Amino acid sequence: MAVTALVHRLAASAPVPVFAAVGEDGLRAVDRLAVDPRVDLVASPLHAALLLVVGTIRDDDRPELERLHDQLPHPRATVSWGGNAVFEGEAVDGTVDPLPLLSDMHRALMTRARPSEPDLLPNAPPNDWRGKGDFGQGGEGMMGGVPYGRPMPMTDDDMRDGLALDAYSAPFGPFLPQFPAGLTLDLTLQGDVIQQAKVLRPPYPQHESGGAAVALRHVARMLRLLGLPARAERVLHDGPRERLAQTLSRWGAFAAIPPGLGMIDGTDVRGRLRAWCAEAGGGAGPVVEDDGPLTDLLPGLEWHEAVLVLNSLPDAALRRLVPVPKPDDDQGEHKHEHHHDHHHHDHDHGHGEAHG
Amino acid sequence: MTDLLAILIAALGAGALVAPLLLMGRSASALTEPQKTPFLGGSAPRTHAWQRYHARYYSMTLLFIAFEMEMMFMYPWAVVFVEEGMKAMVEMGMFLAILSIGILYGWREGIFKWQ
Amino acid sequence: MMAVAAFVSLFALLILGTALAAVMDRAAVALASGRPMGAALKEPARRAAALLLRQKVETERPDSITWPLAPVAYLMLAAVGLSVVPFAPGVVVTDISTGIVLWGACEALTVIVVFLHGWSANAPMALIGGYRYVGIGLPVLLLSMFVLIAAALPAESLSVVEIVRAQEAGLWNVVRQPPGLALFLILGLMLTLRGPFDYADAEDLAGGTKAEASGPHRLAWRVARLAMLVSFSAMAATAFLGGYLGPVLPGPLWLVLKTVAVMAAVIAAGHMLARLPPSRMLTTVWVVLLPLSFLVLVLVGVELLLWP
Repeated sequence: MAVTALVHRLAASAPVPVFAAVGEDGLRAVDRLAVDPRVDLVASPLHAALLLVVGTIRDDDRPELERLHDQLPHPRATVSWGGNAVFEGEAVDGTVDPLPLLSDMHRALMTRARPSEPDLLPNAPPNDWRGKGDFGQGGEGMMGGVPYGRPMPMTDDDMRDGLALDAYSAPFGPFLPQFPAGLTLDLTLQGDVIQQAKVLRPPYPQHESGGAAVALRHVARMLRLLGLPARAERVLHDGPRERLAQTLSRWGAFAAIPPGLGMIDGTDVRGRLRAWCAEAGGGAGPVVEDDGPLTDLLPGLEWHEAVLVLNSLPDAALRRLVPVPKPDDDQGEHKHEHHHDHHHHDHDHGHGEAHG
Repeated sequence: MTDLLAILIAALGAGALVAPLLLMGRSASALTEPQKTPFLGGSAPRTHAWQRYHARYYSMTLLFIAFEMEMMFMYPWAVVFVEEGMKAMVEMGMFLAILSIGILYGWREGIFKWQ
Repeated sequence: MMAVAAFVSLFALLILGTALAAVMDRAAVALASGRPMGAALKEPARRAAALLLRQKVETERPDSITWPLAPVAYLMLAAVGLSVVPFAPGVVVTDISTGIVLWGACEALTVIVVFLHGWSANAPMALIGGYRYVGIGLPVLLLSMFVLIAAALPAESLSVVEIVRAQEAGLWNVVRQPPGLALFLILGLMLTLRGPFDYADAEDLAGGTKAEASGPHRLAWRVARLAMLVSFSAMAATAFLGGYLGPVLPGPLWLVLKTVAVMAAVIAAGHMLARLPPSRMLTTVWVVLLPLSFLVLVLVGVELLLWP
């Protein structure tokens, strides 16, 4: 019994594992939270105890937010920080520091003083499969049906070497922490290389006017994706400064990024990172004038490269490069959500020149 | 035999240290269907993730096997190297040189590229 | 008697080493990020307790045998790898004549275990992590075995005990072949999924193979990773830094000190350099690092021929 009490006490004083679902104007606040040692901003909801909803969330994204909520392991709770409160959980004003509340709630969850939030979605499998098929597995034949609730991926030609293996097609986002907040992409992958990309929902506007502090946060985000989270925190900690690019060179940040990756207007990801560094020191930031769609840039890129490209773009340019889907597109996408028979691929899309 | 037993005891002893962790955490709350959805940033997947996956580096693995076979000769070679001296040196040098040409050829053919 | 001492040493090093590695890991994060150092000592226990109290979630249709087996097997491999390391003269769990080969097998199986961890969740992020880790892991295995064989050359034996004896009679391998140790540290980063070689559990994949692991499962995976760091560091300390050899202090203490030093080096290296996208790294390993390891082997060979 003493051991259990000790475990509960220790757990209550652990850094609060938070998964942040970022909405409109929420990014600044989350980036500030990321450097706080009392909070552990995690990359997957399965690693979190608290779901922090920051900023205003679109109505379209509510089903995704609810799914995200249910993915958190028990005991769990939700905090809404600024913007529209979406769940029953606790809500704090955007101007208030949520840390005391986060700590208190985590402590209460860990000591079982606060009950865990129940699921928001109904407890039903994505497709009815139990008892169907030859072995009760829900499938038909080799690949058909919905074994254990979902169909299997189907064969498709690879855009590069024509090796006919399975294509994995799924919507990614809008709360994937590696993507710009709100961006939802319908990606078709062969292995870890993107074959086709379609925008389902644009990123949330962050209304950031630019300047050294914003640039610095962009640099920090790139560093985290390059496997240097502690260095990223140090960069934010030290604040805007000159000669940041030289420091990053020493860490191999530029050398790590393949030259020519994500080329827009003659500037690649490397060049944009260099410009972010310059802006953090008082210089000019990256200029992205081209308005070609982002979806032409991604096919042919490996996952890590694609994530680097997405995060190298300024907020305004990113929103310009992402064509807002037409209303009928939007409806079609909602249909996919519940109808799991999507194996066709629009071949007029995504076979463009690769920018790798 | 005693060597094998000792290795086995070390392995099982270590396994027993974390095995309880993997039996824990199940009974606390019942697992529901929405909890089981794989993480895609909020969206739901259309299909299972298991697939005939395109491992981009498949041609590199052939080169790997060539080196791995070479490694088998290398183990006994390391034991007799000092005894055999120059002869062993030249032999392994030739072997490595031939395989290194394989690396250069593979590089030219782009087998280390992901596309 | 010696056998009992060996088993006690092995488990003591594995358990205490893992705890120390967890503290060092937090301290390194604090040092690199500018956070206060004070919390580093207590934080690992607190984080572990918080993980213990959270639910273990499974995906819709995981491979429910290999998924929990992966962390267990990872830790078992760390223990088997450590079983060939002598703690003092005559104190070793197993003194097989092919100790280096056994260690090599543990390395190779680690790649498979990490892959299984990514594959068995039946989730896209974990799957990508597992697959691309194999791509980078394979050439790094080759690299590590070349430098390890170079370390075995002066001993004329593949037994780890003999390798230490040879260093007692002659020079420590780190003096004979310093680049060998540097290249071997890359293996440490790869085996423990760290920094520039963390292709399995990376940030860009929302945690990769561990993205779907929660609660005690995630704790087990973390423990196994740290235990592998201990095992690797003890091996590196033995093969290159003379293991239990050293003046004044007792042998086992020397081994512990050297192991901690290697651990610190690997943890620091994990925070120092940026990670390359996988295809760029694959080219770098094959075209730059692997030929370097050949060069190390040739240099050690020539040295042995000239000054036997």
